[in-house]
Order: sequence, then structure tokens, then C-alpha cells
Amino acid sequence: MSATLVMLLAGGVGSRLSLLVSARAKPAVPFGGNYRIIDFTLSNIMNSGLERVGVLTQYKPLSLMNHIGSGRAWDLTGRTRGITILPPQTGKKDSDWYKGTADALRQNLDFLTRYDTEEILVVSGDHIYYMDYIPMIAYHRRKKADVTVAMREVPWDQAIHFGIGQKDENGRIIHWEEKPKEPKSNLASIGVYLFRTEYLLKVLTETQAVDFGQHVVPQAIGWDRVFAYPFSGYWRDVGTLAFYFEAHQELLDPASGLNPESWGIQTNLEVEGLKGDRPPIFIRQGARVSRSFLSSGVVIEGRVEGSILSPGVRVKKGAQVLNSIILHDGEIGAGAVLNRVILDKKVVIGEKARVDGRSAVPNREFPAHLSEGITLVGKKAFIPPGLVVKGNCLLFPDLKGEDYPGAVIEEGMTVRPRED
Amino acid sequence: MPNILALILAAGRVDELSLLTLDRPKSAVPFGGLYRVIDFALSNLMQSRIGRVGILSQYQSTSLITHIGTGESWDMIGRHRKVTLLPPSSGGQGCEWYRGTADAVAQNMEFIVENEPDLVLILSGDHIYHMDYQELIHFHLTQKADLTVGFVKVPSAEAPRFGLGLIEKKSGSPGGRLREYQEKPAQPISSWASLTIYLFRPQVLFEVLRSPEAGNPPLEFGRDILADMVHRYRVFGYRFKGYWGYTRTLEEYWQTHMDLLVPRPKIRLPEWEIRTNLEHERIAERQPVRVGPRARLTQVLLTPGCEVEGRVRRSVLFPGVVIEEGAIVEDSILFYDTRVGAGARLKKVITDKRVTIGEGSRVGGEDLPASNRSHPGLLSSGLTLIGHNTQVPAQTVIGANCLIYPHLDRQAFPSNSLPSGEILQ
Repeated sequence: MSATLVMLLAGGVGSRLSLLVSARAKPAVPFGGNYRIIDFTLSNIMNSGLERVGVLTQYKPLSLMNHIGSGRAWDLTGRTRGITILPPQTGKKDSDWYKGTADALRQNLDFLTRYDTEEILVVSGDHIYYMDYIPMIAYHRRKKADVTVAMREVPWDQAIHFGIGQKDENGRIIHWEEKPKEPKSNLASIGVYLFRTEYLLKVLTETQAVDFGQHVVPQAIGWDRVFAYPFSGYWRDVGTLAFYFEAHQELLDPASGLNPESWGIQTNLEVEGLKGDRPPIFIRQGARVSRSFLSSGVVIEGRVEGSILSPGVRVKKGAQVLNSIILHDGEIGAGAVLNRVILDKKVVIGEKARVDGRSAVPNREFPAHLSEGITLVGKKAFIPPGLVVKGNCLLFPDLKGEDYPGAVIEEGMTVRPRED
Repeated sequence: MPNILALILAAGRVDELSLLTLDRPKSAVPFGGLYRVIDFALSNLMQSRIGRVGILSQYQSTSLITHIGTGESWDMIGRHRKVTLLPPSSGGQGCEWYRGTADAVAQNMEFIVENEPDLVLILSGDHIYHMDYQELIHFHLTQKADLTVGFVKVPSAEAPRFGLGLIEKKSGSPGGRLREYQEKPAQPISSWASLTIYLFRPQVLFEVLRSPEAGNPPLEFGRDILADMVHRYRVFGYRFKGYWGYTRTLEEYWQTHMDLLVPRPKIRLPEWEIRTNLEHERIAERQPVRVGPRARLTQVLLTPGCEVEGRVRRSVLFPGVVIEEGAIVEDSILFYDTRVGAGARLKKVITDKRVTIGEGSRVGGEDLPASNRSHPGLLSSGLTLIGHNTQVPAQTVIGANCLIYPHLDRQAFPSNSLPSGEILQ
């Protein structure tokens, strides 16, 4: 089964994740305490026993490249195994930024033909799911398919967000619409495509198709053998702050189906600038912790409930962290109160500050990103002692005390560093 | 920077740790939730930028060998960095089991010669401490010493348990000439105890290890070599001012863990930046800790893969420990993948890895219990120890000061109660 090459699309901006993607690509966004979003796909690749992976990067790839490293964390090093980062390159005839998913592959034809493969599996690094790709490959071969698309049923009202297909009784896709306004089916693509290598090379060289969902699949239907592989099980697009927040809440409920360890999800635990390993979690006297997900190096003296704490987070005496996501090395000062807040890495919350994300007023500048009653604080921002921040606020990275216009940040406000 | 070769003495078992060292040397005994005892020496070496290390292993060394792996966890892999396991071997000059610390080093003379070190640093892998060996090396070089021995101050009452040194006082210096050395003397000559840290000029090491023409060869550095060397070589004592944890008995082992849970622990795990092998016991593969809605936790160390639904107080939980709903765990140390069933109660218990405690069972917690029947010196303070992979059946009552052997299944428990001080084998 090793004659399948994997192409992992990790170039997307994921702009609806707002400040979380201001300095990193969406696949590199931290998830579930220890992990990053891309860990789920990389681990699925590893656990399926696939051995050759190309990662297509474009937008802010540094944090992603550091994270992937040699690929060792996912067992992708060795004589027959390897992971290769494929950034856009100049110097060739058609060289340019990647214009879309199919275009990105077209610009790496030399990589696609380097290995002797029967199929090419195209996956994205944007989703939280567990999948064994081997049965899909077997299905693809059994159907003698040119293209197989993994598809799952979604609630009808969500169908407008996905590539939606209709299939016949043999599983062959007979109709396809990308993000339809009036969906004719609720069978949605999960962004996992399997191509016969020869077929894919032909499509890439003989057509101008830019995107798999928008061009390649719709153009193939009716002409070529396009099949739907039925997928069921936990799958989440965490591409909006609200989805990101909800998926985290599901980590707290073992019945939700989201169990990274039981799925064999691996991450790269090496941290830049740390000599030692993260020490054990220390729950100190006087702490109260319930319904939470805690990573190594966390120290809790206050109250934590309904929250996900990434490595190295410290919650001081009398502080309360409720229904929140705190990324690496956040420090919650004594007596501070947080509710429905997402803090990016290394945010410092001053003593007795209060950040309550709940609000019905959408963010004024970015209503499309932030309207669900969550406040988002950017990397390394400082919230001064006693400051009150209300719901649907957006606080930019690296904020300092003097950047705040007053002692209260009202609902829906955005705060940026002052320009000198 | 001089070329240093470090040798870690990791062969020893410590009888007083009972079942914890039944299948592993002391250096491989789990410690502090995430670590093995030897991680402290290895992390000290890494942070002192000493990358060539030989580990002298002998007793039940599988667990140690797995733990060391390639040495990569401590950055001991590279062009000039390497960790080598040195078990006893046959067919060569020395073709015997290691009979002591000096004998173990003597049997690996070839290894030392091949490495051509400027200095040989001999350490024990059995101790919990944080030390920059470069300071000791600097002291050794400035004194033009043949041998420098590390010492730490211990309470006078404890002194007779250790090798003691009489170190010349010299103001402003971290050490001085070692005037006298005595191994475990009944009448202490000082309260400075040997850390089993020896920094040798290689030539001198070869001389003192050479077998005498007549009489028995020296087997132990402390017992057979140091006392005499003091008079014949430039031997210095270096005073170490930090914390030193030696944990030689079960009771000390337990107390050292409880001391990790106080507001300002002397063993500062975050600041010491200790490294371990995260592949061992699959630590790296485990997810963050899930704490349930009805859990209550105070003064607890938790590690990856733990799941807590019950109540835990003053305890250390190693990776993968599960505390089910309604269970109460106090003053305990639970090794990897211990599972405490719903409604069970544990007080002052050490469980080795993969122990399961059945639903509703009770272990320990009796006031003024009888001492252990066969090992009263080992278990008299109320601690109960359960060996690895043992399954305590549901609704069982086990007293304090009990010793329960590894790999016992439900049938091995004769009835649903075991009084304090009993042994189950």
C-alpha cells in the first residue's frame, strides 16, 4: 500500500481565525492544549502507514516549518520515509505564488513524478478528524476510480459551506456544486481527494484548473470516474473562531468523540528556548479545577473551569478562568477573571483585570469574524491590572499598558498598538 | 575547554527501596511524576555541556537501557557527543560482574583510554540534585588537583550513613585540600558527606585502580581508595551548597515526593529544567490531562494522559493514571497507568506501574498500624507498597505497612481484607 504519495495543503490563510493567524498559517494554529491543527492530518498519515509526504506552504510558513522539523514526531524519517516542504518558487516558466490547490500541485510536478506511485492523496492541514486512509485507497482501487472524494453527511443548514455532491447507487458522483446557495444534497466533501497518479498528471498538464473543489472535480463529473468515499465519524472545520471555540469545548466531554490520544495524534514537543522538558502540572493548595483540559507545565493556584490550558500557563491566586482557551505560557494575574476568552501565546493578564467575552454586539470592525460572544487577545499582549474588557473585543498582539484608551473596553471594540 | 569524559555509576540496586527496585536499578526508579532518578545527573551533564558519557549498568538494566535510548533526549548525540552503555562483559581483561564502583570503572579502562579525556568525571546516577559541573571542573583545574571530590553538608545525626570528608577551610574558595576521608564512620569526622562525585586526572585514576601486586584489588572508591589517596595525591574537597536528595529508603522516597507539593519545594523542577526520555512509557503520545466535572484536586502533580474524575490530595500522579468518579486518593504516589476504580480510597500508598485498584476498595489509612511483619525497618510509618501490574479486586480492604508483590491477579488475594503489616506474594 505504500505506493501512495501524500500532498498536504498547508498554505491557506484561514483569515476567519482573525488574530490567531496574524503570524502563522491556519494549520499551525495551536489546538487542544498540546497540539496544532496540522497534527491531526500528519498523525492520520502516520497511522495509515503512508511514507512520502509533500507539504505545500505559502502563507507565513515559519512556525509550520519549525513544527514539522524533520518529520520525526510523525515517524516520517528514514530510508523510505520522508516529508518535504514545498514552498512557492521562482525561476521556472510558470512560477508564481500558488493560485489555488490544483495550481500548487501543478507547480510541483517534478515532486509528483519523483516517486513511482499509483495514487496521489491530497489532504488539507485544516481539520480536526481521525481517518484511516487505507480503506479509502482500497475503495478507490476497487472502483477503478480516477478520483475519489471522501464525503460525509452534514446538517442541511451547513451544506452551503462545503463542496456538495450527489451520488448514484454505486457511489459514483453524478452532480457537484461548490458552496451551493440552495444545496441539492447534504453530502459534503471533507477535503480529502485521492487521484490515480496518471490521471492527476494529465489534468494538471492538459487543463488550467486552479482549484480541486471549484474546477477539477466538477469538470471531471460525467466524463471521468469520480467516486464518493463515505466518511463518518468526528470531523470539524475549525476555521472560524466560533467553530474553534466549540471544538475545544468538545475536548472536555469524553462522549463527544474527540479524543486525540485514542486517535494516536502526535505532536512535536520540542520547544524553542526551553532547555528542559515541560515539568508536571502543579495544582497548588487552594486551587479549584473542574471540567478542564490541562497541559504540561501548567501551575494553578486559582479556579479553572470549562477551560483548555496550553503548556506553561499560570493561574494565580484568586484568579478565575472560565470557559476559555489559554495558549502557551499565558499568565493570569491574581484575582483576574476571564470568561469566554481566547488568549494567544504569552499573554499577561494583570491583577484583578476582567475580560468577559459574552456579548450580543458583534465586533464593529470585524463583525464577520467575531460575533459569537468571545473576546480574542493577540500574542504577547499585556492587559493592565484592573482593566475591564467586554465581549466580542479584539485586542491586537503586543499591546502595552499605554495602548489602551481607557479603563473599560466596551463591547465590540478593537484595540491596536498606538503608532508613534 | 578541557575534554571531559563522564562515567555514571548506575548499576546499583538499593534494598531499602524494596519492590521499587525489584526489576530496575535505583537510577531507573521513577521520580517526580515525569522523571527517572538518572535524569537529574544526565540533565546536569547536558547543562554543563558535557556530551560524552559512559553509563555503567548491571542490575536489571532493561528499564535503564530503554530509558537512555540513543541519548538524544539529553542532546548526547552528535559528532563529539555520545552516550555508551557499559554493561559487564566477558572475554576481555575484566570478565566478571562489577563488584563495586571502582571495579566497574577498572573493567572499563579501555573505554576511558580510547576516549583520551583530559579529565574523568565519575558520578552516581542515584541522586536528585542540580549542579553545574563546570564550576567543579574550574576549581579542580585552578587547584591543579589529582582528584576533586564533591561534598554536601548533612545533619550530624545522618552523618554516619555517608562517606565523610575533612576539608581544609579557605575563605572565598568553594573547597580546599581534603585532609581526611572516612567511609561511614561510627564517630563522624565532619558533617560533609560525599556526593559520589569524583573528578580525576586520568593518569591518577589509572594508578589507583591498578591491581596491587599482593592483596585484594580495590573494589569501592569510598571504602578502598579515597582514604589512602588523601595522603599520597593532591586531593581536594568541593563544597556543594545546593539541595541533595539521596532517598535511600522507601520512607525517604515518599517524603521527598511530599516535599515537592509544598509552596516552595527545594527540588525546583521548573527551574532545574530537567529532561527525560519522553518516548519511554509513551509520555510523548499521551494527551493533556482531562479533569472531570466532579473532580477535586489540591496539592497535586499531574502528568500527560492522566484523567481525574475523583478527588486527589497531596499526591503525585505519573502519566496515564486514571482516578474514577468518587475515588479519593491522598498522600500517595501512583506510577504510570495506575487505575483507581470508582469509590476506591487510597491513603499513603505507592503503586508501581499498571496497578489497578478495584471499585470501592480501600488501601492504607489506618492509624497506628502494625509494622510490616517481615520488614519492620522498611515499613512502619503507615506506607503501603503495591508492585507493578497487580490487580486489587473490588471491595477489598488493605491495611497500612503492607507489601504487595507485582503481577498478582484477583485470585491471588485470599479474602477481601488484608490486615496492616502483611505481605502478599
